[in-house]
Amino acid sequence: MSPVGECIVAFVFGTVVGVLVQRSRFCNTAALRDAMLFNSYRNTKALLVAMIILTIGFTTFISIGEGHTMHFDVGLNTVAGLFLFGIGMVLAGACTVSTWVKTGEGNIGALWALIFTFVGMFLFSLVWSWNFWPPAPASMTGKINVEALQLGFSNAATLQEKLGIPAIVFGLVQAAVLLLIYRAILKKEAAQQARHKAAQEERALKKAMTEKASGKTGEPVAEPAQ
Amino acid sequence: MVPARTRRACVFGKVPATESRSRPRQIGGRMDLFKKTLDPVIALAAIAVLDIFLFLIVGSWTVGGGETMMTGLAAEAVLGDDIERLPFWSLVFQPDWGYWKIYISLGMLFGAFVAAVLSKEFYLRMPRRLGEWVMITIGGLLMGIGIRLAFICNVSTFFGITPEVNFGGYLAISGIIAGAWVGSLIYKRILEG
Repeated sequence: MSPVGECIVAFVFGTVVGVLVQRSRFCNTAALRDAMLFNSYRNTKALLVAMIILTIGFTTFISIGEGHTMHFDVGLNTVAGLFLFGIGMVLAGACTVSTWVKTGEGNIGALWALIFTFVGMFLFSLVWSWNFWPPAPASMTGKINVEALQLGFSNAATLQEKLGIPAIVFGLVQAAVLLLIYRAILKKEAAQQARHKAAQEERALKKAMTEKASGKTGEPVAEPAQ
Repeated sequence: MVPARTRRACVFGKVPATESRSRPRQIGGRMDLFKKTLDPVIALAAIAVLDIFLFLIVGSWTVGGGETMMTGLAAEAVLGDDIERLPFWSLVFQPDWGYWKIYISLGMLFGAFVAAVLSKEFYLRMPRRLGEWVMITIGGLLMGIGIRLAFICNVSTFFGITPEVNFGGYLAISGIIAGAWVGSLIYKRILEG
């Protein structure tokens, strides 16, 4: 596909994502933060469903040699970088997607976060020589290299190539794990709901008892003054 | 619970959604999508299916890459040829308007704007307190530094490499969960304080 065609496809995809995310109020930050802070899983469930669909879809196409898989160096810098990113997105109240979507809705705070994401990227690009991890490319052999923690090439495509097992097998295992997490969340939500209902019933019962008790002892305040 | 900064705080020139609802509305031609909130599970399932098509055509959905390129283009606009003295922008990411990932981000901005206007939810709003501005600034900077250090963002983690069963995705997810947990503790302390 021509570069212009790629840009058009990307823009159309982005536009649809923008519409759907705006209408559904999905936020990746909320998917993690709300689950941790408020035991609320509205966004977490959506994230898991998307990951299940994507895992099966991607690995199915990888199995038949289709698709454009991502290949790059992954190492301890990934953990450290995403750790900082995780703190940042909770403080900013928006992730990379929601900063764009909220900016589109007219949220100046999200635009501010976006501008400072750019500033952060530029500032860190100044120390890139330090950021450039020499061990990473040196250990990139295309094989699983747990020792060097360079797991970037250990994707479904290379596992299929090296081990002869179709990528979909790894995909199904991962999808099953994600499904188990999803089901655990549903179970937790059902328990939350049951607790909530029980608490409500208890409150209603207490209220009824108090009213009944006050009714038995006569109604001193109901006596009309003569 | 809604964080303080997402509340409607400031309106410039636009009629807030609450006021517009009290007027007679002409919604005859408007689709249902722009009248009520969509279930995020349905929205994300639809996005996932589209992302599979994108994966087949050009590559899976990422945002940090496009943002990095935009940073490079902005830096080039300010610095001119001096940018070539910075190794990152000459060796890793040479500023280029033809980089497809830029247009995913611009598309999201455009799509969200259109959706917000059609559903009468577009209005300018600002964080109220200085503390919120400080938190957003630090948060934005940390996100930028994090993307640069890791070479990936949350989108490529959850919607790109992990679904491709790339083991690096598990490293990324552990990092982001640990970060979000620490961030949540800080956030909670600030909310309570």
